[in-house]
Amino acid sequence: RALLSPPAGALRALRGLAAGPEMHFGFQSVTEEERRERIYQVFESVAKKYDVMNDSMTLGIHRVWKDILMHKMNPSPGTLLLDVAGGTGDIAFRFINYVRSVRERQLQRKLKHHQNLSWQEIFESYQKDKFNSLGDSQVVVCDINREMLKVGKQKAQHLGYSEGLSWVLGNAEELPFDDDKFDVYTIAFGIRNVTRIDLALQEAYRVLKPGGRFLCLEFSHVSNPLLSRLYDLYSFQVIPVLGEVIAGDWKSYQYLVESIRRFPPQEELKAMIEDAGFFKVDYENLNFGIVAIHSGFKL
Amino acid sequence: VRCQQYPPLRALQASAALRRASDEHKKEPLTSSSQQHFDSPPAGHQPEQEPQGPRPSYTGQGGQESEDYESEEQLQHRILTAALEFVPEHGWTAEAIAEGAKTLGLSVAAAGMFHSDGSELILHFVSECNTKLSELLKKEQKLVQLGEAEKKPIDEFLRDAVEARLRMLIPYIEKWPQALSVLLLPRNIPSSLNLLTSMIDDIWHYAGDQSTDFNWYTRRAVLTGIYNTTELVMMQDSSPGFEDTWRFLENRVADAMTMSNTASQVQSTGEAVVQGLMGAAVTVSN
Repeated sequence: RALLSPPAGALRALRGLAAGPEMHFGFQSVTEEERRERIYQVFESVAKKYDVMNDSMTLGIHRVWKDILMHKMNPSPGTLLLDVAGGTGDIAFRFINYVRSVRERQLQRKLKHHQNLSWQEIFESYQKDKFNSLGDSQVVVCDINREMLKVGKQKAQHLGYSEGLSWVLGNAEELPFDDDKFDVYTIAFGIRNVTRIDLALQEAYRVLKPGGRFLCLEFSHVSNPLLSRLYDLYSFQVIPVLGEVIAGDWKSYQYLVESIRRFPPQEELKAMIEDAGFFKVDYENLNFGIVAIHSGFKL
Repeated sequence: VRCQQYPPLRALQASAALRRASDEHKKEPLTSSSQQHFDSPPAGHQPEQEPQGPRPSYTGQGGQESEDYESEEQLQHRILTAALEFVPEHGWTAEAIAEGAKTLGLSVAAAGMFHSDGSELILHFVSECNTKLSELLKKEQKLVQLGEAEKKPIDEFLRDAVEARLRMLIPYIEKWPQALSVLLLPRNIPSSLNLLTSMIDDIWHYAGDQSTDFNWYTRRAVLTGIYNTTELVMMQDSSPGFEDTWRFLENRVADAMTMSNTASQVQSTGEAVVQGLMGAAVTVSN
């Protein structure tokens, strides 16, 4: 087990932070170290069935949530995206599709304007642009879990995504990137599993370019009382059962549901993002607060 | 516990793009490591509506004096102004805003601060044009007051003011129909209507209108009608130098003058008729 602990865990131990403060793991109380280890194990065991479970738990609605996130981002070609805790690549693939279609439209518009050029010139400009179907956009998928990255790479190969995509093993609390590098930083359904959220937010601030955008898609709190009761019922009665039936892992999905309840609500997360230095921080509730998209800018 | 001391802490925060008003191009060295361990008062977030006025000087890191930081609104204004340059090519879209942000050294993602339909860009442009018009009219008024220029008759004044304002659209004329349609979206109507009415108000003010009766409304309604119709004509005008549009404008203003003359004539005729009838009635009763 000790061999499987992530690099950051080893670093923390070296720094003498072996027995960290009390943290929560679902509804249990654990040390910081233990939390990281246990979360790593959770995702290690669910990695292969991650996508299937997402579909069955949310009845496929998670796809819509991720699409909405992409529309909100509205990336233009040339954008450099860092997708943290991006594991199986859902956001990364959507980004590539989006940028590709925007680029196509751009090229079409350019061609329309080239009505007065000679055929030779049109041919040349078309050639030049043809090999740039993504318009220099790139996405880096960073995840702390090797298994999740493996599944992601396999998926990419299977679906035919190769250009503009790279996979990096890294910890959200200590990103292996330089300052001021990325245009957009996203973390979809990942920040809940980060042990020190404030550190992750600070790292996000660090690696973003000035003017860059932070986007966080995460389960949040439902304020509507009736809906909240139904949601609780579904979460605690149905989801772990699905987990056992489909993935053979009750405990991991029990953890999932509990971790959602322990995660700070919308306003609190907004305050934490502001504390990290972001401006124009705002959130959008999807499905009455079951999911929320938080957005902030590094200005 | 969040301390309410916003101004000094913002200086410490030393944000990357919100630069000091006094210090145009130097980027504040952001040492993130020293900032991470601030457990005491975190940098606060000021409500957007308050433009940040001059603050007492505060010595930040490295002994640098930090005075006024620009607010988010001011930064947004700068981005939109920079984006105008790209409108002829990209239209009133988020792409133009993204290009504008790039020229300021910001990431293209900064365009996400604005609506994807370019509403803010258009409203910003209209507001800038109105401001330019105001300044132009104020300058002219000063010249008249100093006796260096003749006071124009009303119809000429209105004609020149509307022409000057419409000429500002010429660089963007190709994409202006798109802008007009966006301004008519329900979401934007309050703001666009506000800008329109204040511009018309301005023109009448500098024209010397001091009416306090119903004339105030009719004058503004008439001029709004003239402005809007001329703008629409300009969209379809392909004559050299838009001379068709200016001729149209001249005719409309002349019509308005005639109408007001006719109206006052009708009024005086009406009064005369009433007096005549009264006299006849008195005669008959006697």
